[in-house]
This record gives sequence, structure tokens and C-alpha cells, in this order.
Amino acid sequence: MASNKKYWKSVEELKENSSIVEKLKQKEFVEEIPTDKFLGDKDTLDSSSTSRRDFLKYVGFSTAVASLAACEGPVTKSIPYVIKPDDITTGVAEYFATTIANGIDFANVLVKVREGRPIKIEPNKESINGSTNARVLASVLSLYDNNRLKGPKAKGETISWNKFDTEVVAKLNELKKNGEKIVFLTGTCASPSTSSLVNKFSEQYGNVEHVVYDAISESAVLDAMKEMYGKRALPDYDFAKAEVIVSVGADFLGDWQGGGFSAGYAKGRVPKNGKMSQHIQFESNMSLTGANADKRVMIKPSQQVNALIKLYQAIVSGVATREMSPLNTAIQDIAKQIKAAGGNAVVVTGIQDKNAQLLALQINKAIQSKVIDVANTRNIRHGDDAKVAQLVADMEAGKIGAIITHNTNPSYTLPNAKEFTEALKKTKLSLSFAMSENETTNASQYVAAIPHYLESWNDVLIKNGHYSLTQPTINKLFDTRQFQESLLKWLGSNETYYDYIKGLWNNNILGGKSWNQALHDGTFSVKVSNEEIISTSVDINAAGSALSKIKGSDLELTVYTKAGIGDGQQANNPWLQELPDPITRTSWDNYLLVSRIDAERLGLENRTVDNGALNGDMVNITANGVTIENVPVYIQPGQAPGSVALALGYGQKGLQEEMSIGFNAFPFANGIFQNASIEKVSGEHEFACVQLQHTMMGREGDITKETTLADFVSKPKDEWNSPPKFSLDHQEVTQDKVDLWEKFDDLGTRFNLSIDLATCTGCAACVIACHAENNVPVVGKHEIRVSRDMHWMRIDRYYSSDMTVEKGKEEGIFGSGDFFEAQTHPSDAPEVLFQPVMCQHCNHAPCETVCPVAATSHGLQGQNQMAYNRCVGTRYCANNCPYRVRRFNWFKYFDNNDFDFNMNNDLGKMVLNPDVVVRSRGVMEKCSMCIQMTQLTILNAKKEGRPVADGEFQTACSNACPTNAIVFGDVNDQTSKVAQLEKGDRSFKLLDFIGTKPNVFYQLKVKNTKEA
Amino acid sequence: MYFNRLLYIKFRINLSNSNGFVMQSSTFKKLITGLTFLFLISFSLSAQQGNPENGKKLFNANCAACHKLDKKFVGPPLERISEKRDNAWLHAWIKDNAALRASGDKDAIDIFNEYNKIPMTPYPQLSEQDINDIIAYTDDKPTEALAAATSQASDPKVAIGKKLFQTHCVACHKLDKKLIGPPLQGVSEKRSKEWLHSWIKDNAALRASGDQDAIDIFNEYNGIPMTPYPQLSEDDIDAIIAYTTVGDIKPVEAATTVAAIEVAIPKSSNKWISYALALVILILAVWIFVQSNNGFLKIVVTIFILLLGTYILFDSLMDIGIDQGYQPIQPIAFSHTIHAGDNKIDCEYCHSSARNSKTSGIPSVNVCMNCHKSITEYNGPVKSESEKAFYDTEIQKIYDAIGWDTEKLAYKENYEQIPIQWTRIHNLPDFVYYNHSQHVNVAGLECQECHGPVEEMDEVYQYSPLTMNWCLDCHMDTEVDLKGNEYYAKIHDELAKKYGLEKVTIAGLGGKECGKCHY
Repeated sequence: MASNKKYWKSVEELKENSSIVEKLKQKEFVEEIPTDKFLGDKDTLDSSSTSRRDFLKYVGFSTAVASLAACEGPVTKSIPYVIKPDDITTGVAEYFATTIANGIDFANVLVKVREGRPIKIEPNKESINGSTNARVLASVLSLYDNNRLKGPKAKGETISWNKFDTEVVAKLNELKKNGEKIVFLTGTCASPSTSSLVNKFSEQYGNVEHVVYDAISESAVLDAMKEMYGKRALPDYDFAKAEVIVSVGADFLGDWQGGGFSAGYAKGRVPKNGKMSQHIQFESNMSLTGANADKRVMIKPSQQVNALIKLYQAIVSGVATREMSPLNTAIQDIAKQIKAAGGNAVVVTGIQDKNAQLLALQINKAIQSKVIDVANTRNIRHGDDAKVAQLVADMEAGKIGAIITHNTNPSYTLPNAKEFTEALKKTKLSLSFAMSENETTNASQYVAAIPHYLESWNDVLIKNGHYSLTQPTINKLFDTRQFQESLLKWLGSNETYYDYIKGLWNNNILGGKSWNQALHDGTFSVKVSNEEIISTSVDINAAGSALSKIKGSDLELTVYTKAGIGDGQQANNPWLQELPDPITRTSWDNYLLVSRIDAERLGLENRTVDNGALNGDMVNITANGVTIENVPVYIQPGQAPGSVALALGYGQKGLQEEMSIGFNAFPFANGIFQNASIEKVSGEHEFACVQLQHTMMGREGDITKETTLADFVSKPKDEWNSPPKFSLDHQEVTQDKVDLWEKFDDLGTRFNLSIDLATCTGCAACVIACHAENNVPVVGKHEIRVSRDMHWMRIDRYYSSDMTVEKGKEEGIFGSGDFFEAQTHPSDAPEVLFQPVMCQHCNHAPCETVCPVAATSHGLQGQNQMAYNRCVGTRYCANNCPYRVRRFNWFKYFDNNDFDFNMNNDLGKMVLNPDVVVRSRGVMEKCSMCIQMTQLTILNAKKEGRPVADGEFQTACSNACPTNAIVFGDVNDQTSKVAQLEKGDRSFKLLDFIGTKPNVFYQLKVKNTKEA
Repeated sequence: MYFNRLLYIKFRINLSNSNGFVMQSSTFKKLITGLTFLFLISFSLSAQQGNPENGKKLFNANCAACHKLDKKFVGPPLERISEKRDNAWLHAWIKDNAALRASGDKDAIDIFNEYNKIPMTPYPQLSEQDINDIIAYTDDKPTEALAAATSQASDPKVAIGKKLFQTHCVACHKLDKKLIGPPLQGVSEKRSKEWLHSWIKDNAALRASGDQDAIDIFNEYNGIPMTPYPQLSEDDIDAIIAYTTVGDIKPVEAATTVAAIEVAIPKSSNKWISYALALVILILAVWIFVQSNNGFLKIVVTIFILLLGTYILFDSLMDIGIDQGYQPIQPIAFSHTIHAGDNKIDCEYCHSSARNSKTSGIPSVNVCMNCHKSITEYNGPVKSESEKAFYDTEIQKIYDAIGWDTEKLAYKENYEQIPIQWTRIHNLPDFVYYNHSQHVNVAGLECQECHGPVEEMDEVYQYSPLTMNWCLDCHMDTEVDLKGNEYYAKIHDELAKKYGLEKVTIAGLGGKECGKCHY
């Protein structure tokens, strides 16, 4: 251990002698066997008149019947194609390059298709926009959503497309005749073909306007860019080039400005030649980005504005504020660092205010930052809040003839959704293109069912010069029609949208290059002439003074997006609902994040109940003139006192019952923050929080390792990454001297998995990839709450702090002002460390030795194998696993109405991977190191008669990781990347002192804590 | 032939509930075997085709070590053996004489005893044709089929013509039916010889010369020009015309018998012996209990019976879920004998994904149509007209599925295709991962090694038990060919270096690990 830090996963662990923590450490299964669930409830059992004799009779009878029934097998039908498509070989997966562009997530992906059905999304690593997050990977399940619209509707009734077209075109022509305004209100499409179609449409129908609206708006930075560089587009950032990254409230590892920056960021986070980037984060609620920062300064949103102004003054104006406050000292230090780094520094901000964005742009301009690129801009946010506000006003005034919405749900996501919905009634034609019924479709006269992006054609210009194509990977499941197809139809054209895109590309984009090649690659890049960036001078001082007028309040409410749910358009996706939030480790909920100090002030509490589950008090929140009642409170370490936060995307109407949870935070999504007031109400909320579950070995320390850059560079390895030492004959020896077990043959292939804690941002993309690849079932909120989650991999989030009351007093900061006072409580401003944990595939696995039926055994290739059909469910293995990675199938999770998720309907089952068995009740399961993938790689190599090249072996998680933190390969191949990593200085094995010799190892995290 | 199987099926339908799944109990098998056997004997004898030339070769390769034609040797002299024994008996004896003896055949037991109880090597690998050839050789006379063939070949011109026809014309013409071009049987009656010659040599020139007949026929067949054959000599064309005039001699009565698969079935008789033995022991035990006063003996017998009972119970319970021999009735009476046996179509022509994929793939209907566009009727050997008609209706089922118009020789437009619902025979549980390409492509296994003599199966049955034991037996015994595949180069070097091993079994490379097949 490099430091004397104390690590903890839940505040509960900080309490002395917590019986619950003790219990969770000792017991793998805190819950007793749920006999009442499958035997019926207790009362009926007690009042039952079944005697012991009857019971034996029944048992005898059913045994006899079961044996007789087993004599006749079922008849299985095999139905081949009548005409098999040439490119399909049954049993062999095909991959198609396509692009997701749903208004919030934009990425180039590969779609794995088996027998004509997409079953998995993988990143398209050959493209520059190929990094995928959890939502993109889970989008394949949204294709098979039972809740989708199955055909067009008019006034709530299903009608045919022909009738739909006739009626709509008649209305459009009438509006045209009267010269009334037709407005397209869409999310960001970034599609050249769509834009061109809309233009054509306005040529034909005259008074047409296209208003772009993003639920997660980046209007502020777009306006700032327009003002400063004359271009309403997002700047691009390459964090790999950064030495100093200062973020003021920008969650750039999350959804800030469309996301996708984590790969570049991660490149700078591994020390090379003694150097790595330094990341300083100012923020109020603990974001993924803040959790990864070297230094995290927690301040309220209003203080963030202040901090940005001070930074600007110090860096650009050269005026150092001489205020004697710890915050100011910190800012002045940071300003010095930025100045020293010059062009290698960058300042980013997530403050949703044009003036704040202008300041940040100006700082980057002044230091000539190489990180920001304002020439090659990104197009993935285009929404204009002012225009949307104007539109709602116009609608209310009755100036709008028709509203056609596409790829957006304003009746849910607008802060003034109510007004919008009311005003919608005043239009002559309201038409909504949507995949499933939602608040907007309910308020619209016409609803046009659109296909999922995996059933559609489209083109996307994610970044200037980098064109992408979306192609269908499955026939349309329902009677749906694309927005663009409808436009073509209404324009009277017989052309298909495919022909339209192809024509447009051949004429304007491809420049003679092959269309088929572009479609195959999914992307096409053209050289962008590095046009002169016209930078207009902007009155920054006016911006600054406007900013400085922003006044804080006692309790500032902000909204944020979660890694799983985002803006909520995939809220009906059970994979995403069940995905534990990386920070709070809570699934199936949104909640008000409150700091400890505010909680104590308001008398709010979180309680860990006897089985390790979390309960919380509830409050009513009032802000922006809206009151939301009975919102649960989650006391979040690292939340700035005086600030609270609520996640967006929850509380939608029209979803499946299990998914209709949480509270809609969009009414608060207006401006930088809201002045909020909260009051405690009676009642208790039950969270599905997994943070205390799977406590490893009852160990408190020594689980994870980290060090500082200074130690890493200057001190010997033993000091910051010491291998375990054992005493043998009063001598300190290394592990191999005291090993009870014989070594395995190092022959052939041995798989190892390396996980770099320095570059793991905790984004949870791997968890979803694992879900999709391995048919991991969704178990629902209650099961998660009682520690019966089925995730094969979890991302443990550790809080740590070396700040104690004593240390605080020693340094004289104890009790000195609100800000540092907070640090005297270790849980108030913790550092964060993410550690993905899956089966460690021990060479000397404790689980193997205790299985009475040898259902789990060791393979020559290093995997710890689990034979489900052999397992009888004693659960000894799980009890003996020090890493707590084994999952027991308490129930049959498929075809079971108690678990009404994708495995309970024929449509949802289409996502299942046919190469991996769906486990049944009563068996243990766990990570298999994706043996189906490695076996396939080996088989392909054998067929082609060649050795397997390094990088060919992949697991679902290693393939999905956007930062390449997870590396998989053959450790016996000395040239492989994983073999190099294994020998590296930072390499360590989880709980290495217990001698399990895992085949999974970690690279310890290095924090750059250098002060200026 | 399939027709026989049909009778067999009828028995099965009568005897079992017709849900398509029939567990074949040994009793049942025995019964059927007997019935079929009788049936076969009554049917058979009529005619054998045999090629004495080939028979001589086979005789020298297989029989000459123990048999002479004219003298006793290790075994009896074989000259004109067919006069002593009937054909079916000979087939059964040659294929598996032990089984024949076990079945209690008196002739077989006698001859065995006469020759000092030296059992003859069984020859299951010999095909029906092979055995017929050998018999023909021992008879030293050409059989009927050959005679028929010679009669057809009596005019050598016809034989040459047939060969040429099959080389050049069959792609577009049939004798009796339209294909791409018109039917050609008796074409010489319609057209003059000169006309035919000039048409065949260069039909375009003939049409250009304004010949009305030529233009008409061209238009009738959708203006698809026929390939010109200037390379054919006058004699060649005459030969083709001669062949189209004579046509094929249909070998209606010259059917081979089906001393088929059923003969091989008596292997289950071993089990019956043990059951009989058990019965004897049981009677003995009862006798002891009733008659004897020896208490110790009674205890020993009780223990013995209990153990035996447990063994039999366990044995029968272990058979549950093993569907070896499962032979469901398929929606189309597709005969592998006709396709893979008679016509020698390679397995992978239809099951093309076996080489590339985990599944061998049931061929889609468009694969059937590759051949059945032109093969609209069954012209193989038949025993009765009804058999041909039966097969023709089965072929029609493919057309119904895909929508092929046999009159217009085109796919029907807007036809709602009906997928064929085959009944799956080899059914591994979901928790087993099996990959055909691994076994067919990498290991180079023949399909027959697991699926049995499919080319002799009219109706496919599950040949192997498909139990884990069966899989593992092979994995533990089979050596991996480490050479010749670069993938194994590294492990081969390592094994050679560390253990001096040159050979390793599949299990030695991890082919016995649970996780390799269960995931």
C-alpha cells in the first residue's frame, strides 16, 4: 500500500462495529432460501391440511409421472429457409457496420447478426467515432421492445399507411394553401440527407421551419461558438494531448457535449516516461469525471461560475484575486499550472450558460490550447433553446399550423412541457414520429411508427469530414416507416430513402469512390480543407460581468444524466434499468443526491437494513415553480454541501410497469441550477443498491491498490506495489516458496485478462456487453435489493480518504470554514477508485475444491469452467469464493411472469446469443472468460491453419471497453500485449496474499497529485 | 428402397400411437425385423444384377484367402453357390454370419459346425452390389441386368449416342419432357435428318436462312438460342438421333432386392440372450426357494437376484433420453439412398454449412431445385409402378414449397412459399455446444463416422447414441494430427521439447474439459 488510506464502499462501513457489515462480510447469501416464493405463502402452508402421508403420496406420484414422461422426448421441428440468402451461413455470425444516431448517442458500431437477427452491438474500432457507451451497447435490446408501436395511428386508432398519407397530405396541402407555418421539431439528426430532404420539403410546402431541440441541451456552447467562431457547432477535444485538464462542472467522461472523449482522456492517464496528465475537477455532484479526477474540488453550481470567472481573470487578464479563502488559493494554484502548461492545458466547462462557455473558449484561445479543435467541429448537438422557447410561444399564440416531431419527446423533456402539450392542441396538424407511445404521441393527432435504427437507412455527419452510414441489419419487425421515407412519400416521390442517400452521396460526398466500400466500412472520411478559423472578437468583459451577477442560494438543484438511462429514451430497456449507477451503485431508481451536511441539517437519513439493502427518507422538492413529491434521498459522499441533484430520464409515461419508475427531473432542467427547497416527508424508500453486497473476504484494506505519480516515478516498486510476503522458517519469502499446490503446465494458450485501474473510468459499458454476450438475465428491482443480482461482472466503486479528524486538526484546517470542514468527515470528500471484478479464474481456485459434483473445474487454458448441467446447486462454491463473483439462479428467469423482462416474451428472446445456454433455476453461473468467443477464434485459426495473432482473442468486456483498460490475450505468448502487461510494474493480483493465483490481474491506479 | 420402408412405416403407425415419435423397443425391432425379413425373402429372388468382372476382383481381394471355387479350403467351395442357398441368405451370411447364426438359422449353424466352427470374417463393408458381383462371379454367368444393358447396347450407335446426349444435350433437353428446350424422344419422326443436322451444327444460320420450322421452334421456346455444335461429326449426330429414337430401356423389372439395412439389425439379439439367461436364472432361483432347504444358498441367491435386478434397472434407466435409432416420419419421404447412395451426391453438396458452421444445415429448398428443376420424376430402379408414382408425388412437394410451375418451368410469381417442417433427428440439449466444422473441417471426420451409413438409409435414423460417453470415448482415443496445421505448430514444439511427445489425443489438448462443450 502506498498510503494509509482507508477504502470503503458504503458509509455504513465507516461506522464502528456495524453488525450488518460484519454479516455481509461473513455471509455470501444474506437472504435465506426463498421457499415462500416457490412454495406459496406461509399462511396457506400453515392452514393446509396436507398430511405427511399425503405429501409422500404426491411425491411418489409425481416421481412416477416424471419418469414416465421422460420416456418420450418432445418432437422438435427444424425449418430451413425456402430460399436461403447467399450471404447467410446458418450458425455463423455476420457483422455489419452501421451508425447509431438517436439524438443523444452517436457512434459507429458493428452489429453482430445471427440468422438475420442482430444480437449484439460492438464498437467499430476502425472509425474515429467508434467508442461505445452502455446505452449504445444496450440499444440492440430496444429493437426487440414489446412496447414499440406496431403501425401508424390517427387519433389513437390504428390505420393503414395509405390512409395516413392521404389524410396527412390533404392537411399539409390545406396548410400550404393558407400559407400557414409547418414546423419540424426534431432532435439532432446530423444527417446530410435528412437536411436535404427537409429543404426539399420546405420548397414544396412553402412556410416550413426546422427547429432542432436536444433534451440534453448544449445550446450554451453552440451559441458561444457561433458568437466567437461564427459556427454553430461543437468544438472537438483531444484529451490525449492534454497535460493539465481543468473542468468546471463538465462531465466529459459522461454525456458532456455528446461524450466520446474517454478514449483520448485515458491515453494521458497512464504514466509514460514519468509523465501523465493532471485532471482537476470542480463540480457539485459526484460525476464519473469527478470520480476519475486527480483533484476534485466540490463546490456549488453558483461557486463554479465564480471559479470560472476567477480562473479567467487569473489566466487571461493576469489579475489574481487576493481573497483569503481555500477555494481561491486552489484556483490560483490551478491557474499557475495552466499557465505553465500553456498550449498543453485545457479548460472545459459544463455550465449551461453562453457567457460561461465564452469564458472557457476565451481561456483556451488565450493559452493556445492544442487540446481544443474549433475548426473540425462535431455536429452531434444542434438544439437551440431560444428557438424552442420561441416556438412554444408561437404555438400558444396560434401562429403555427403544423408540428411534426421526430426523434424527440418534448411533452416529456421540455421544462415547460405542460405549456407545449397545451399549445399542441392549438395547431391544425400535430404529427409525431416515434418508436413507441410517449407523452408527445399521446398529445398528437397522428402518430407515425418509425423503425429502430437497426432497421433503417440513414447517413450521419458526426464530425466534419467524417461521414457515416446507417444500414438495416434486420427486416422491419413491425409496420413502420422511416421519417425520411414519409417525407419522400409526401413530396410525391417514388424514390426510396436508400436511393436518395446513395444519390446524394455519389453526387456530393464520395467523389467517385465506391459506395459499397463506404457502406461496408460504415464510415467515409474526406479531407477537410483547414479553413481559416474566423474568430470574431467578443466582449468577454460583458460576458464576465453578466456571469458575476448570478447569485447562489442555500440549496442549488442541478440535473444530471446517468450512464444507463441518459435522457430516458431507452428507459424501457431492462438492461439499462438494472445497470447499477457507477457512482451510487444503485439501479432501478432516480433519487435526490444530498450531501451529509445538508442531510443532517434536514434530518434526512439513509439506513442500511439487516440484509444489507439500503433504505432512504423521502422529501418533497420545490423548484422552478414545480413540486415533486416523495422523492427518495440518497446521501452521496462528495456532494457539495448546499447542492442537490436529480437524474434525468425517469418518470416516463407509457412504459412497461416495471420500468415506470422514478421522477421526471426535466421540469428542473432549465438554466445553470434551480433554487430549491426541500422538506422531509414521512415514509421510507427502498433502494436497489448493490454497494454493500459482495464484500470480499471480509477484508477492509489491501483489496485495491493505487499510488501517486511522485512515488511511482521516484520510489522503488516494492514501496507502492509490494508483492505479498510470507514467513517460512522465520524468513520472509515470496509466494511461490509457500505454495501448497503444484503449478500448472505452461503449455499452449493460457488466457489472462488485464484491467487497468488507471484508465478504467467506471463507465459500465463492459457490464452491458457482458449482458448481451452471455445471456445474463435481468432480475428486477426486488431481487437486486436482496443481493440476488446476476451481473457476471460488477464495477466496485471504492471511496477512500486519508483525511481524519486528527489529521485535519494537525493541519489546522479542522473547523476552518465550510469547505474544508467537510473534509474532516472522511465520507464527505472522498477519492474514488473503480475496480471491475469478474471471476478471477484462479489457477488454484477455492471454488473447485469444494464442489461435491465437480461441476466447476480448471481448464488448461486457464479458465475456471462452470458446467451448468452438472451443477446441483449446493452453492458451496459461492461461499468459498473470496472474490464473490459467483451468481446463483434463484429462479427461472425466462418464461416467468414474475420476471417480465426480455426473456419472458418471444420478441425479447430474439436478442439471446445462440452460442451460450440460458441457465435454468438452481444452478450457479459466473464469468466464463467468454469461452465461446475464444473457442471460435481458435476454431477459425485451425480452419485456416495458422497461429492466432495477438489481439484476436477478445472477451465481450475487453472488446467493449472504450478506453482499452481491459486487455485480453494469451499470456504464454511472450510477444502479446497481455504478457507485457503482466510483467509490468503496475501489475497486481486481487487478494494476491491468499494464493489463488488468478488469471485476471490489475494495473494499479496512479494519481497525479502534483501541486503547482 | 424407400418403398419397403413405407410398409415398415405402416406397421409402425399401426403399432404405435402416431405422434411421429416412436421409441423402438427391442421387441418391436425384432418383430419388424422378422416381418421384413420374410417379406424380403418372398420378394427377392427374382433378379440380381451382378458384374462378374468386378466380382472376380472382389473375390480375390476378400474371399480367396479361405475359399476356392472348386475345392474345399478353409471354407467350402463356392462355385454355383447360388444354386444351394438363396440370395438373401447369402447376403446376410456374408455381411454378418455370426448374427445369422445367432438368429438360429439352421443352415448357417450347420455349415459353421461342418467347417470346424471357424467363424468366417464378416464383411459389413461390402455393398449389396458388391455381393451380387461376387455371386455373379461364382456363378460365372452374367445376370439379367447385364443382359438388358447389352441388349440396349446391341446397337453400338445407340450407346455412343447416349453418351453424346449426356455430354452435350442433357443440360437443356430431356427425352420425354420439356426442359429449356423441347423433348427429343422421336424427334426424327418430326424433322428430317438433314434439318436436324443443320440445326444442331448451327441453328442460328438455319434460322437466318429463313427456315420456318427453325424460327417457329425458336420462338416457341422464348427465343433462347441453342448452343451450336459445329464440332459434332455427321456420325455423332446420327448416333444422337439413333439414341433419341430408341430411348432408354427402362429397367422396370430389373430391380435390386433390398436385402437392406434390416438384415444388419439382429445385433440386438445379444441383449435377448442375456434376458433369456436372466429368465433361466430366475426360474432356477424360484426352484431353489421352493425345493431347497439350504438357508445359505437362499441368502446368496437373494443377494444375487437383488444385484441382478439393480443392474437391469440401472441399465434400463440409463437408456432414458437416449434416442439412438430414432427414426421419425418426415414430411417428405426424402431418400438418402437415392441421393447419396445411388447418385453419389456428396453430403456437403446439400449440407454445405457443415464445413463452415456449427450446424450442418438442412438444405433450403433452393438447393433441392438446383437438380430438381430438371429432375421432375423418379427414374431409378423400382419394383412397381406405384413406387415411381409415390416418389414423383414426393418431388412435387418441393415444388409446392417453393412454388415451381412444372408446366411453364418457372417460379410462380407472388407465390406464398411454404417452408418444409422437417422433424429433427439429432437433438443435442441446449447446454451442449457442438460444432460441425470443428469435426468435419479441422478433424477431417467423414460424416458416416457419427451418422452411420446414411447413403444406405432411405429414412434417416439416429445412428450414434450421442451420449457424453460416446463423445469422450472418441476424444480420448483419437490422436490429433499436429503436423500440417500451423495452428498446432507451437504446442507441438512445446510438447516435443518438454515431454518428447509426438502424438497427443484430443483429450490431451483439453478436449475432455467440461467448459469446452458446455457453455
